[in-house]
This record gives sequence, C-alpha cells and structure tokens, in this order.
Amino acid sequence: MMPPLLQVPPSFFSLDSSAPPDVLGGWIACFLTLAVFSFLYRDNPFYKLAEHVFIGLGTAYFALQYYEQGVLQKLQTHIVDASVLETVKLGGHEVPADVAIGLRAAAVVLSGMLLLRLVAPSSWAPRWPLAIMVGVYAALKMTGETQSKLVLLVGNSIQPIVSSEALPFGPDVRIEQTALWFTATKLIYYIGLICVLGHFVFTFRRTRTLAAVSRIGVVTLMITFGSMFGFTVLGRIALLIERVAMLKDYTAPEYALAGGTQAGLLATVLSPPVLLTVLMVALLALGALRRRERSPGPA
Amino acid sequence: MASVIANFDRRWIFLAVGLLVVSLYAAGISSELPESEYVRDFHATLEALPPGAIVLLSADFDPASAAELLPMYQGVIHHLFARDLRIVNVATWPAAPPFTQKEFARIAPLYGKTYGVDWVELGFLPGDDVAMGSIGQSLRSAYPRDDRRTSWADLPLLADVGDNMRGISLLITASAGYPGILEWIAQVGGRYDVTLLAGTTAVQTPDLFAFYPLQLKGFLGAATGATQYLQLAAPLAARLPTGEGALDEVRDENQRRMLVQSWAHILILALIVVGNVIYFRTRVPTGAARR
Repeated sequence: MMPPLLQVPPSFFSLDSSAPPDVLGGWIACFLTLAVFSFLYRDNPFYKLAEHVFIGLGTAYFALQYYEQGVLQKLQTHIVDASVLETVKLGGHEVPADVAIGLRAAAVVLSGMLLLRLVAPSSWAPRWPLAIMVGVYAALKMTGETQSKLVLLVGNSIQPIVSSEALPFGPDVRIEQTALWFTATKLIYYIGLICVLGHFVFTFRRTRTLAAVSRIGVVTLMITFGSMFGFTVLGRIALLIERVAMLKDYTAPEYALAGGTQAGLLATVLSPPVLLTVLMVALLALGALRRRERSPGPA
Repeated sequence: MASVIANFDRRWIFLAVGLLVVSLYAAGISSELPESEYVRDFHATLEALPPGAIVLLSADFDPASAAELLPMYQGVIHHLFARDLRIVNVATWPAAPPFTQKEFARIAPLYGKTYGVDWVELGFLPGDDVAMGSIGQSLRSAYPRDDRRTSWADLPLLADVGDNMRGISLLITASAGYPGILEWIAQVGGRYDVTLLAGTTAVQTPDLFAFYPLQLKGFLGAATGATQYLQLAAPLAARLPTGEGALDEVRDENQRRMLVQSWAHILILALIVVGNVIYFRTRVPTGAARR
C-alpha cells in the first residue's frame, strides 16, 4: 500500500525514495500499468513500449545488482579490505589473511577461465570451473534436500490418527477441534497418500485392485491440482487488485494535470489513471477503425 | 450453442473481472476472515519470543510478487518492533532491497528504533541456495559489511550473532519462489537449530502444507494468510501514534481487498461451471462420433 498521498504534497520530480511518489513518476507508473493491461484487448504499440521498457530496465537493474554485489563488493571486501588484516573469517573459520586472499584470487582466476568460453568455446579452461560449480552445487543440494525433503518429510507424513488434544462434541467446540474430525481427516489423508503412491506403481500387472487404488489416486491428484489452480487464481487476482488500488491512489488531485489540492470531478477526470485510460482507449479505437478501413471488404 | 462457445470473445471475461474488481474496490467494503491454524501458529511463534531476541528476516521477492508479500512483510516488521525484537534483514532476490529499505525507513521511527542496535540491513546476497547455505554457516563471512558499507564491528546488534545461526532465534522469509522458503528449509532449517516461518505467494502455498508443522512452524499463504495475520497482529497498533504506517491501516486495506478477492473468485467459479455445462451439453457422444 502506498503511503497516504495527501499527507505530504508530492514534488514534480524527486529521487528521494522515502518521499511520496513524484508527479512525473505517478504519470509514468499509471501509463505503464495501463499499457500492460491494454494487451488484454490485443497486441498494440502501448504494450510493446511497456514491454521493451520493462525488459531494458530489468536487465540493467539486475546486471548492476549482480555486478555490484557479486563482483565489485566481493573483490573489495575479500581482497582489498582483507589485505590490511591479520586474519579473515572465511566459511566460518578464522584463516590468515594471505591464505584467504590466495583462495579468493584462485576463485577470480576460475571465474576468468569460465569467461574463456566466449572466445574459445572448445577450450579445456572453462570446463574446470564448471566442474567445480556442478560438484559443489550437487553436494550442497544433496545433503540439504535429502534431509529436509526426504527424511524429515517421510517422518512428517507418519502421523497418529487419534489425538489426545481433540475435544468431544459440545456447544462451544468448533467441528475441526473434535476427535471425529481429526480422525476422519487423517484417514482421508492416509487413503489419499497410499492411493497416489499406488498410482505410480508400475512394477506389477495392473489388476482390478491396483486399478481401483490408482483411480482414487488420480482423483486425489486432480483435487490437489484443482487446489493449486485455485491458489493461482488467488494470486493473480491479488495482483490485479493491487494495481487497481495503485491507480486509485493516483486519482488524488495532487497528481491531476492541472495540479492543486481541490478534489472534484475535474481533478478526477484530469488525474493520470482516468485521463490516460480515455486517451489510450481513444487511440486504440482509432487504430481499430483505420485497420477496418484498410482491410478489403467481402467479395 | 457450440458456435457460441467457438466464437466467444474471451475479452468479455477480462472486462467482467476488471469491472467487478474496480467497482467493488471503489465501494470500499471490507471483510473479516476467520484465522487458520497455520496463521495462528505463525502469530503464536512470534509472540513466544522473549524481548531482545534476534530474528533473521529474509526478503525473497520482487515487484511482481510485492502485491501479495509486502503487506505481510510490513505486518511482520511492525510486530517485531512492537515486541522489542531485533531484526537482521537479508535478501536473496536482487529487487528486494529497495522495498525493505523503504519499509524500515518508514516503520522503524514509529517505534523509536535505532539502526545497528535494533535492526540491521545486510542487503542482497547473490548465489541462491549457496548464499543461503553460507548465511547459515557464517553470517559474518557472507556479509563482512552491511548494505550501507558499515563494518561488522560498528554494528552492536551483530555482536550477538555467531556462526551456525547462533544467536538467531527465528528465521522468517517472505518467499515468492526460487530461491525461497523451500531452499531455506533445505539449506538452513534441516541443518541448524532454528525455527522457520514463511509468508508465501499463492502459487507457492500448496507446496508448504507438507512441511507444516515439523519443519515450518507456521506460514501465511498469500493475501488471505496476510490478512488473517494482520487481524491477529493489529491490536499492537494501539501502541503506536496514529498516522502513516500504523498496522491497522495495512489490515484495513487488506480486508478491503479480500472482499473483492472473494467476489472475483465467485465470478470465476460461476464461469467455470457455465463453461462446463455448455461443454457437456454440446459435446458429441463418443459413440456417435465413431458412427
């Protein structure tokens, strides 16, 4: 949620990120939002412009962030700053600074070797850092993933079907607090779990029993996918509502074309979301008319 | 009827959803939600921490998911500061720091908090899972300096943080995808003695039920979870001076959005039902097709 717009009047242009969005930024934000939404009508120049601006800005921002945080600051901290210290903390261990700098310099050399792929694609040099990266990443993933997504998850799936904390039916007891509810949900859970696992058993001939188990497994999977679809809709609608809320914020009179702080019909009509919507719809309609005129009529 | 479906312009559906959302949001009606157990556990875990405990707060999102995650992120910062808990803020997504810097700059003064003593912003660390692993192994090695280029020694809060997550009582992530909560669970939750909480986007929420409550003590699923959590945490707003940034404003705005959300879902459900009815009524039977 944007800070309340009316508490501090926005300036026309400001680079202070803690200040309310400036007027110019407000118009640009509204234009780009509406330009992206215009794709729902059809592909058009407004959408194309927003798309190109987004890709350009995104690429520039990400490249700068990765260069600053991943290259520049690492070199500064681990080599330049470390050169005046006696010991350096490396991977959780105190090591002499010259050893740490040597290891970091080796990493820089490996990074350089990786870039050699650009000039000599078939060279042996890029393969060494790539092999180290793959090995380290595999080892890191294997231990963590095995522990959290296999061992602990299997342990988590084995649960009692009765609860000592569940309550009997009563006037002030919610149904999900009752013992019957608890046991019923756990039984459904176990039946679903076993049947889904049964669906993926391909070792044996698919007898009537296994086929029935598999069928229940498929139904369970479809319910799961339905739930995932529901959550996806939830997320997409939340994004739409946030954009609508943002556009509504910019209908404040401070952002209107004429400026000023007097709310009213004229200020609303001249505000970025309303004025830009009208202009864009008019231009898109004009474009549609011209296309219709150019297209050959029925023979 | 079959030709109606074949020639139906789906832009009418976009327009209907858009008009419904705009009109209901403009009406300004709000709706209170019943809290789920995942959200109650999230809130209770935060409430159980003693004052002064250090929480590692990870911003793993970007502008595309800020609509869902920023309200819960704001709520968590309010909640932690209101309970006098200390925050170490990190980010594994490059676009997250501008959001976190802005929120801390806005919320911290409301509680009279001091940078370096009550909260620290360490900024973005590239490397995804590897970055998370190195944060768990040694926060000091991963971040020799903070986001403002201040050295570790000049930040009193970090004197209480050691290697292997020592000194960190709780890890909370606002997770939009990869890397996010699933990677924190694998790289930190499974290796170190630290409690994990998460706020996630709607798309990622179904993945988390399997990890609750053994590996994940509670979570906020999407805008719904955020609204439920803000309802629980909002009484803290009474301790604040009224005005910008108060927690009840964030809650009210979310409750307002949830009503729109509910009606948009009802519309989409109705469209699915109508579409299926038309489809089954106009479907050519398999036998007839063969003949």
